[in-house]
Amino acid sequence: MTNQQKITDSPIDFAEDIIRDVKNSKEDGVLKCVQCGMCTSTCPAARHSDYNPREIIERVLEGDISILEDDNIWNCFYCYTCHSICPVGNSVCEVNQILKQFAIKNGIGYDKLYEYLGFADSYFTAAIGAIPEIFFTDIDRDVPGWWDFRQNLDEIRTELDLDPPLMPSSEVIDEVSKILTITGFKDKIEKIRSTQEDEK
Amino acid sequence: MRDDLKVGVFLCECGGNIADIVDLDKVREELDVEFIGQFENLCSLNGRKIIRDAIFDYDLDRVVVAACSPISHEKTFQDYVKPLNPYLMDMANIREQCSWVHDDKEKATHKAITLINASIEKVKQSDAVDPIYCQTPDDVAVIGGGIAGMNAALSLAKQGTKVTIIEQTPSIGGHMAKIGKVFSPVKIAEECGMCLLNPILNELVWNENIEVITNAKVIEAERRAGTYNLIVEKYPRYVDTERCIACGKCAEVCEVEVPNDWNDNLSMRKAIYRPFGQSYPESYVIDMDNCSKCSNCVKVCTMKAIKLRGKPEKIPLQVGSIVVATGHKLFDMEKRPEYGYTRYDDVITQSELGRITGVNGPTKGKLLKSNGEVPKRVVMIQCVGSRDEKPDGHRYCSKICCTVALKNANIIKHKYPDTDVLICYTDVRTPGMFEKYYKHTQENEVRFLRGRPGEVVKKGDNFIVRTEDTLKGEFVEIEADMVVLSTAMEPSEGTEEIAKILNVGTTEDGFIKESHPKIKPVATDVQGIFVCGTAHEPKDITDSIMQATAAASKVGEYNYGGVEIEPFIAEIDTERCIVCGDCIQRCKYKSMSIQNDEIYIDPMSCTGCGKCLVGCKQRAITVNGNIDEKIMSTIKGVLSKKQDGQRMILVFLDNIGYTAADNIGVNRLSYPESIHIIKVISVNRVRPRHIRYALDNGADGVFIGEFPGDLMYDEVERKIQRVKDRIAEMGQNPDRITFSKVYIPYFSGLARKFNEFDKKIAELDEAGL
Repeated sequence: MTNQQKITDSPIDFAEDIIRDVKNSKEDGVLKCVQCGMCTSTCPAARHSDYNPREIIERVLEGDISILEDDNIWNCFYCYTCHSICPVGNSVCEVNQILKQFAIKNGIGYDKLYEYLGFADSYFTAAIGAIPEIFFTDIDRDVPGWWDFRQNLDEIRTELDLDPPLMPSSEVIDEVSKILTITGFKDKIEKIRSTQEDEK
Repeated sequence: MRDDLKVGVFLCECGGNIADIVDLDKVREELDVEFIGQFENLCSLNGRKIIRDAIFDYDLDRVVVAACSPISHEKTFQDYVKPLNPYLMDMANIREQCSWVHDDKEKATHKAITLINASIEKVKQSDAVDPIYCQTPDDVAVIGGGIAGMNAALSLAKQGTKVTIIEQTPSIGGHMAKIGKVFSPVKIAEECGMCLLNPILNELVWNENIEVITNAKVIEAERRAGTYNLIVEKYPRYVDTERCIACGKCAEVCEVEVPNDWNDNLSMRKAIYRPFGQSYPESYVIDMDNCSKCSNCVKVCTMKAIKLRGKPEKIPLQVGSIVVATGHKLFDMEKRPEYGYTRYDDVITQSELGRITGVNGPTKGKLLKSNGEVPKRVVMIQCVGSRDEKPDGHRYCSKICCTVALKNANIIKHKYPDTDVLICYTDVRTPGMFEKYYKHTQENEVRFLRGRPGEVVKKGDNFIVRTEDTLKGEFVEIEADMVVLSTAMEPSEGTEEIAKILNVGTTEDGFIKESHPKIKPVATDVQGIFVCGTAHEPKDITDSIMQATAAASKVGEYNYGGVEIEPFIAEIDTERCIVCGDCIQRCKYKSMSIQNDEIYIDPMSCTGCGKCLVGCKQRAITVNGNIDEKIMSTIKGVLSKKQDGQRMILVFLDNIGYTAADNIGVNRLSYPESIHIIKVISVNRVRPRHIRYALDNGADGVFIGEFPGDLMYDEVERKIQRVKDRIAEMGQNPDRITFSKVYIPYFSGLARKFNEFDKKIAELDEAGL
């Protein structure tokens, strides 16, 4: 099928929105992409899924907004290899983060985020980002011995002559919770939680 | 009286470049001069007639040409005003600094009027002065004995000029000697590089006008009146080139073996060695860093040519001009560990592949891996260190690597048709006739994959090259048993060193900068110094030779015509001068010396900055050309056209800053109409009284720009600070004065600074500060 570009189309607008985003640190890097594929050649997500960082930029430059609905964008986990290797000084990793924020603003990807809400909750309960319990089984399968290690962490630390882990005090937890509430973070995650749980 | 002088103004429409933005009818109405002419292209020969006729008919004493920048056409119009003295003409730059940077017609027109008025006031202060001509010695030093330096030297020598080649290594020949095969796109065939180089080398050796100094470096350079005094340090060779017959017996008995750098360290050589079979001088040399001083060679040498003791020798050399041909080096692969070059023997560079496939190389031309087997698949990776914004990478394209990869791929395919050759590229750049060679390479079954590999890893006996086939959108892992990296060309250490010693400008990438990238590709920013070959930028052999012969031709022009120097330089009144020598100490440009018991000022290096004159207790120094008054009149000329409520900022720039400002226009960026640029011969000539006068008489701000590479930079910066302090003491706002760095290539930065300063002044005005 022919992809027709009308005289009134302005495909570059999408890239400009991304460049203007506060998260973008690479100025016009997106526009300088020559599609060499070096990012893809070293991307762990590209090796194990259909995520393709070069294609992300290709679609952005084409003004293909449907990328926000593409499940693949949720396969990047910010290792920043593409960011550090890009020969034209672009960062697909940052572009990906911006795309995800655009998606969330448009109500897309709540189901993806839902699984991670445990992270968000831990900021309120402990003022740190802790691994949500729902991942424990997966991690133990991927990293043999991890569960034992976690269970016996206190003893291992004692054995190594280390102090117990330093955890934020209750005042700190209160303060962090307050900040997250005032800045609207709490509302945002509650919205995600309720829409997902309603669907269920 | 200067006020009674008859001034003629000539307005150039510049084919609409000026007239479309500036209302020239309005300009004519506003000017009060003896004569006003207008033409569509004043720089044409018709323009010359208009100007000359008006000078005769109206008996003009002074001329203002309102047109483009003086950087473009000052010389042209200085010629067109003949028989008037060339310095009685001034140019008002209403193109680069007006019509090309402003959109608002009304404001642009008023600014043009202001700039022309400033020129009228300035030119009234001009006196007739004659340019200074310097005849320079004809002798030439060519620094670097590679293909570029050799061709420049040969061309000059054949035209009768005495040339000295100074080569750092023990032999001339450069990179081309080790390249193996070369090809020309027209022939579509690879041929022996050495066989092409040898005739040139022989011709050079036999030419009586050429002296070759090898194992030597220029360590000092000083310039006096168009003459360069170079100090060349020659390191001992320990073998007498007059006696040595290159029989090689010495190397046979030498007990030390070290990696052979001429073979990219792929083979070994002795501590006494001949760099390569055709090296010149035709003599062995001792690598003293590795010599064990066993004296075996001394004993066996029947010619008694070897002496194990020797000291560096300093050779003074006096020349009129210099050709810099110091070449390039290749990108250091330690900076890209992801390709495994330092870890794996069979990950090599194109240069090493050239040695391996060369018949005079470590394997006598056989393509072999480190285990002695022929590789089954060679993967070439392009753009290693080029087109790369990562740390230590180069943003530019190294220009030759595409064709070098094609050449080496073809050489492999000719000898080993069963070896698969795959080139991983981002773009194949084969302009012009090279495209035919690209097609030829495809016909030879060399494969191409569009993708830039991110890493090379070892897997079992082979490598895995990880890349994306971007045309398919597919992640691929290519198995290979040899990987060849097309490394970037970068300035050699010698190029960087000589740039510092000769004080010639370099680009942001460290190559020697030409004085104009478009129309002056072999001259540098220093008169009498020319550049050719890869010291200038990445290029191939053909381009290097073309530029070398062009450089030789430019030297010829220079030797024939002498040098014309603007006469606005310091002059000594020998009646008053007591030869105390203070000025010699003060001069940052080392222009002053004592000769025959008098202070002598080298007209080539004096910039007319005036530093000497301010410090002279005897008041024995003047600078020609009425500079102070000219600056003052220009300021008055600008400010007298200030309208109610108009913001006026005066910008003082010398040649470098002015060129940067022109570039803003050339690149069609913009800045506020309040910016009025005044060109001065040296920023140091802007005196505190000029600045104070400007601020007291209507200027809202004063912007002074100086190139940090200028020797007077620190001095000017301190001076401006003193002026600011003084202004503050007198109860005025020092923030209305700003001092800024300017660079020719960074014109967008200068435009930004103009915008910011204008904004700041507007804020101060609003706040009543």
